[in-house]
Formats: sequence, C-alpha cells, structure tokens
Amino acid sequence: MNRLHLKKTFVLLLLPGLIFLLFFFLTPLLFVLVESFKGPDGGITLIRYREVLTDAQFRLVFARTLKMALIVTPIAVLVGYPSAYLMTKLPAAKKSILMSLVILPLMTSPVARTYAWIVILGKYGIVNQTLTSIGILKEPVRLMYTEGAIIVGLLQLFLPIMILTLVSAMENVQDEVEEAALSLGSGKAGCFFRVIVPLSFDGLIMGVTLVFTGSITAYVTPAILGGAKVLTLSTLMRQEALVLMNWEAATVIAVIMILTTLILYNGLRLFKPRTLV
Amino acid sequence: MSFIELTNIDAGYIKGKPVLKGFNLSVEKGELVSLLGPSGCGKTTTLRTIAGFILAEKGMVGVGGKDYTNLPPNKRNIGLVFQNYALFPHLSVYENVAYGLKRRKVEKRLIPEKIEDVLKLVSLTGFEERLPAQLSGGQRQRVALARSIVIEPDLLLLDEPLSNLDAKLRDEMRAELSRLQHQLGITMIYVTHDQIEALSLSSRIIVMNEGNIEQIGTPEDIYERPETPFVARFIGFDNHLDGQFVSKSEEELVVDVNGTTLVSSRFSGSLDLVNNGDPVELYFRPDDTKLLDEEENNSIKANIDYANYQGNTTQYSLHVGESNLRAIVSGKPVPADVKSIRISIAPDKLIVEKKE
Amino acid sequence: MKKSKLLIFITIVMFVFLLGPFLVIIISSFSNNAVMRFPPEGFSLQWYNKVLNIEMFRTTFWMSLKTGLAATLTALILGVPVAYTNVRYRYPGKSALEIFFSSPAIVPGLVIGFSLLRFFIYVTKIPVLTGLYLGHTAILFPYTVRVVSASLRNFDRGIEEAAVSLGSSPVHAFFAVVLPNIQSGLIAAFILAFITSFNNVPVSLFLTGPGVATLPIQMLVYMEYYFDPTISALSSILIVLTIIIIQSAEKLLGISKYM
Repeated sequence: MNRLHLKKTFVLLLLPGLIFLLFFFLTPLLFVLVESFKGPDGGITLIRYREVLTDAQFRLVFARTLKMALIVTPIAVLVGYPSAYLMTKLPAAKKSILMSLVILPLMTSPVARTYAWIVILGKYGIVNQTLTSIGILKEPVRLMYTEGAIIVGLLQLFLPIMILTLVSAMENVQDEVEEAALSLGSGKAGCFFRVIVPLSFDGLIMGVTLVFTGSITAYVTPAILGGAKVLTLSTLMRQEALVLMNWEAATVIAVIMILTTLILYNGLRLFKPRTLV
Repeated sequence: MSFIELTNIDAGYIKGKPVLKGFNLSVEKGELVSLLGPSGCGKTTTLRTIAGFILAEKGMVGVGGKDYTNLPPNKRNIGLVFQNYALFPHLSVYENVAYGLKRRKVEKRLIPEKIEDVLKLVSLTGFEERLPAQLSGGQRQRVALARSIVIEPDLLLLDEPLSNLDAKLRDEMRAELSRLQHQLGITMIYVTHDQIEALSLSSRIIVMNEGNIEQIGTPEDIYERPETPFVARFIGFDNHLDGQFVSKSEEELVVDVNGTTLVSSRFSGSLDLVNNGDPVELYFRPDDTKLLDEEENNSIKANIDYANYQGNTTQYSLHVGESNLRAIVSGKPVPADVKSIRISIAPDKLIVEKKE
Repeated sequence: MKKSKLLIFITIVMFVFLLGPFLVIIISSFSNNAVMRFPPEGFSLQWYNKVLNIEMFRTTFWMSLKTGLAATLTALILGVPVAYTNVRYRYPGKSALEIFFSSPAIVPGLVIGFSLLRFFIYVTKIPVLTGLYLGHTAILFPYTVRVVSASLRNFDRGIEEAAVSLGSSPVHAFFAVVLPNIQSGLIAAFILAFITSFNNVPVSLFLTGPGVATLPIQMLVYMEYYFDPTISALSSILIVLTIIIIQSAEKLLGISKYM
C-alpha cells in the first residue's frame, strides 16, 4: 500500500512537466519533421530536401555559417582559457565581480548588445572615425553587413559562455593537484598544459559544443550585423518563413538545423575523456 | 512478543540484492541496544527499515505491539537522531523542538512547557531563539535529541549521532545520552561502528556483518567472549594463529600450534563436532599477550621483529611461523639482542574457533 | 611572472571587448544629433524622451513583462517537482528524461518558435499570445530544472527525513522545510528564467501578431525603418537595468554559481 503511494507521488511530480513538454514542445517539432517530408501532392517524399540542398544560395549560406562557427570557436578557446584560468586564481570577492561582468553580455538583451556594434562598426562609427582621423583610411570602410562583423558580434556572446564553462571545470581541479605538479618540478606553463588542461578537458568539450552549435544557430547577431546581405542559416530560415512565405523550404532548413545541432552535440561528446578518478 | 520485533525482513536493495534477508531482531522495552558493525553491514538499513524510510519487501515490523510494516514514516511514533543533526536551518531552536509537537496537534498551551522541560533536560535552557547556524556541534546534537524526545516516542533511533563530534565532546555526549536514557527509560536503538560507544552505552550489543547478526550479547559477552571469528577480529582480538584440534573436555580445549601445545577455556559450540587434527583458529588480544623468558604454561616461541617504546608500554611486532602478531606489554623493551621470546596467553583469554 | 603579465593582458583586452560596446551605446545615447556617429556631438536627453513616449515600446515592454512572468512562474511550478524527482529518485530511463528536460536549450530557438507557429497557430489555431506563452515556458524549463536541481542536491536529505519522522507528510515536509531553505536557488532560477524570456528573440520572432509583440521584436522592427539613437537610449535603459539586477543577484545570491 505504501509502495503504491510512493509511486503515485513520483508520477504526480514528474507528469505535469513531462506532459507539458511532450505536448507543447515535442509535438510541434515532430509535426515540422513530418511536414518536411510532404511533397506537393501530400505524399512522402524527399523532394523538399533535394530542393533545398541543391540550392546554390543554401549551400553558400550553410558553408558560410559553418565557417564562421569554425572561426569563432578557436578564438573563444584561445582567449577564454587564459582569462578563465586567471579568474579561478583570484580571491573570491574579485572573482565574483569579474564573473558578474562576464555574465553581463549573456544577460543583456541581444538586440541592445548587438546594436552597440552598429555604433562601433558603422560608417560613422568609432572604428571608421578613428582610422580616418589618424589617416590610415582615406574613407570610411564598410564594416557592417560583413562576415567579420558577425564574427565579432558572436564572440561577444560566446566568449562569456566559454569562460563560464571553463571556470566551473577548472574549479573542480583541486588546488592540491596543481601544487603537487609544481612541487614535482613542473613550471607554471607546463603545469597548465599538462595538468590543468587535461583535467578540465571535459569542460572544454562542453564549452566548444555550446559555442560551436550556438554560433551556427544564432539569430539576432547575424540578423543585425549581417542583414539581408550576409545571410546565415538562421536568418535564411527566417527569410524563407516570414518574408518569402516559403514554408516548405523553411521547414527543411529547420530540420537541418536540428540535425546539425544533434550531430554536433553527440559527435563532440565522443571527445569527452573517460571518467577520471 | 518483544517491544520491537522484526520478523523475516527482506529490505534495502542494492543492485537487486537485499542487504537484509530473512532478518530477525527483538528489542525489549527500555533497552539501549547497539547495532555494531563495519560499513555496509546492514545496521543503517535495519534502522531505516524500523523508521520507515526503507520499505521491507517481505516480513513484518512491529513496534509496541503495532504493525508498522506498511505504515509511512510520518505515522510511526519514532524519534530519529541523525549523524549530521538535520536541524531545520531556518527555524530557531524553539521552533525545531516544537515541530513534532505541532505535527501531532498537541494543544498549543501545553507546548511551551514541554519545550522548556526538554531543553532543561539537555542543558540548553536559554537557547530557544538561537538558530542552528549559531550553535556548536554538541549543542546541535542536543537540540536534535530534544526534538525527538519531546514527542514522547515509543522508540528512539540514533544513526551514528556522535561521529561528527571531536573526541572530547563525544565522551561528554556519550555520558549525556546514557544519563538521558536511564532517566527517561526510552527504548533506544543505536547504530555505530565505534566499539567503545557500543560497549559503554548499551545494555545489549548486536554485532552485524553483511546483513547477518554475528552475535548478540551484553557488552561483556561481546568483549570477552566473541563467538565468531568476525566478532573476535572486530572487537580487537587482533592476533591470529592457525592450529590443530587435539582434545576437548567440559572446560578445556587443547590445540597444537606448530608442535606447541596450547590450552584454551574459551571455545564456541561450533567445536562440538571437531575431530583430532581438524584445523582451528586461535584469537587473542595484543594486550593479553605476555612475554616470558622461559617455558611456562601456555606459551609459544615467537620471533621479535620490532619493539616500539610507547612510554608506559612497549608494542612488539612478532611472528610465529607465517603469522604476524602484536603484543602490548607494560615496561620497557627487551634488549636489542633478544631475537626470540616466548609469549603466553591465559587460557581464558585465548579464543578458539573452528576454521571456516 | 611573465606568464602572469600575459594572462592579465589577455584578460583585460577581453573585458574591454566584452564591455566596451555597452559603454559606447550608453555614451552615444546622449547624442544631440540623429546621425549615428561616435563620439556623439553634444549632449541631449531627447532620445530618452522619445523612447518613453513611443507607445509601441511601452506596450511591448508590458507584453514582455507579462509573458516573462507567466512563463517563468509556469516553468517553476512545473519544473520544481521535476527537479525534485531528479535529485531524490532513481528510476529506469532517468538519464533519458533528464536529457529530454534540457532539450529545449539544445534545440535552436528559431526552430522551436517556427514549429509552434506551424503546429499551434496554423493547425490547432490557438491564439498567438497563448503560443508565445507556451513557447517561452518550454524554453525556460532547462533553466528552472537545472538551477533548482543544483539547490536541492546541496540540501541535506536528512532534514527532510527528520521532518517526516516528526510527523510531516512528504508534501508538507517539502513546503515547510525544503522550500524555505532553497530560497536563493529559487530566486536565482526565477531571475535567470525571467531574463531569458524577456530577452528572447528566436521564439518570439515567430509568435508575433496583431497586438502581440515583445520588446526585442519591436526594437528589431524599429531598426528596420529608423536609424537614430532612439534604440541606443532604449538599449542603454535595458543595459543599466540588467546591470542592476545582475549585480544585486550576484551580491545577494551569488548567482554566477548557478550558471
């Protein structure tokens, strides 16, 4: 009698949330998935996929999106790792301040955050103004609506994510481990590379996954900094869906986005080291 | 029917196997019984089954004549004291102690007096408004005790309540617990891995190992007359020798160890069916191991490996054949050139068990 | 020592990069001039005035606020029990379910918004506002579940058991003894979720209609037609609000440890 009661409680706790997600999250996704296979006559076909995947614009945009992610991620790692390491070494009060500063770009409205780059990179923005007044440039250069602008914008969003992930991973590497390495003769740099990096590798993989997939699926940054000139996968999808009303193409792109994300998540998970003691 | 009765219990499943299988336990009213044993022996499982946090797959749990088997823990009239006190951090001492009374819908006007009484009992008068964070470990444990006593439970279950305290505090709290138990006459089941606690507090000790009861007895029974090799080893009969059965009478057992004859007056019933030449095991305490120069009764030759001066006593590492032994003897170490010596053990301090 | 200097340098450059743009925006919002140039000319509060007077910004602000509150509360009410089962129960298929509950964070927001639009608005024809609310609630699940799970995990199970042994039903014990002690986790979850909802673009993008639009979407629309410091002013307001909330949250709760 008591066992049943326990089970009933358990079910009552889990079920509402589960049902909510099943109905209002999973079902629409499945619907879209099914839709992507519907041909013009209503039958099951891959024709929509063929249309999209052979489209020159799509291929260009997909390749470009991947390329940008491939640029953003290593930079995030190279800049993020040292900064994160430094932050873990700081006393708690300072660290807390820095952490809340790092969180800021993440918590600010993306529109506000990205808009700043217009001011900086625009025709009359800081960069152009400074460079022309110094004399390096004769005329303002077009920095907006370029891939570079998008990359810069993405970095501002994903550096904090990388840092947060790395800080939490490095904190799990006990101080004593580091001290042991140093006492055994390792230099600070050697210690970093030979002890801390491997032990926080888990966190690195997680950070890389988040940054890479995030860069591919980001919307606001490419929307504002790339506009219609430099489309990425997400801005392309939105264009197809809301501007061109090309539902079929948008549906296919949506599925491709999910697939890419899932493949990346699971693929990168393989790089996780086996359980450490 | 005892006051607490566990009958044929299967409970505490780890990886599909029950920790307790066909387990039986009886505790009389007013006793303080200790469940003593190493980690994983099932003592905590037993406690939690009585408390109701583990539901027995089979068997019956009876407390005070009531069948508790299927009763949820909040309906059992049992007090629980945990290793890390488990005080409600957001409530004052007063509120913590009042909690159980409120749940039982005790009349509001009676509560303050009950709390005042119980706090006096645990010497915490004046601490009513303090928060747990403002209390020391010992004080917290006393609040935990007060909280579970004030509801006048049928039974008090204590799960290693003193493990988190430092040695001196532990001694003090032990004395307190003993006093409280005698004063109130509450039945207590006390789980511990610490022999000294068990020996000093209990009216009876139940030694457990791997889900089974190895021995039940008074502290003296357990300490002086362990009945199984496990209990012997657990309770400090660290020295172990292998030997062979020679003969047995009512009061004496004669064994042969590598050609030396030794006599024991402590042997268990398992030796009733033993024949001449069958292997047996001998157990004795380092403290009971005496050193001799010449041959004397009940002695055997041993080789000295180390002698460690310990002030009042000397600890010797010895070996007899392949067996390593320790002896703790009062006085200074023997001269360094003495390489072998005879050790002797009084017959009533030498336990003999059948070899498993 | 050399390494430390390099480290410090990299870190400083990084912080300048991350936070500099915010300063730029705030400074440029005080410009006297409609042209988006930096440094701005003159000093004027006209853009702030304009922001506060544009009705669309006000209405969409309230919309974002309402949606955020509703979605966050729902995600908490549904998510806290789930977090509890995560921490206190073991059952077959648990890790699969854990992944399922975090999946709204993995699936691109754009896809979620799109699928909600296609399925609910077009097929089942529920109102856009409801769709917006549902979409936001779904994406907030991972936050509420994860943060509350972390809080619960740190909560000594013995305290719950003590309450039960003293006579509380498990439900009563939860409300009387667990909830009061995971307050900071709950608040952190609330703040994180609310901010996520308020700032969300990808889901809100598709779930917009007559009378239904969130503030970020409205800002994007405005930016398509106008190019003046109005958005700078609005952005500055949002940035300062965010700073205040995050700093207080960090000081009071140490919110960074929940992220």
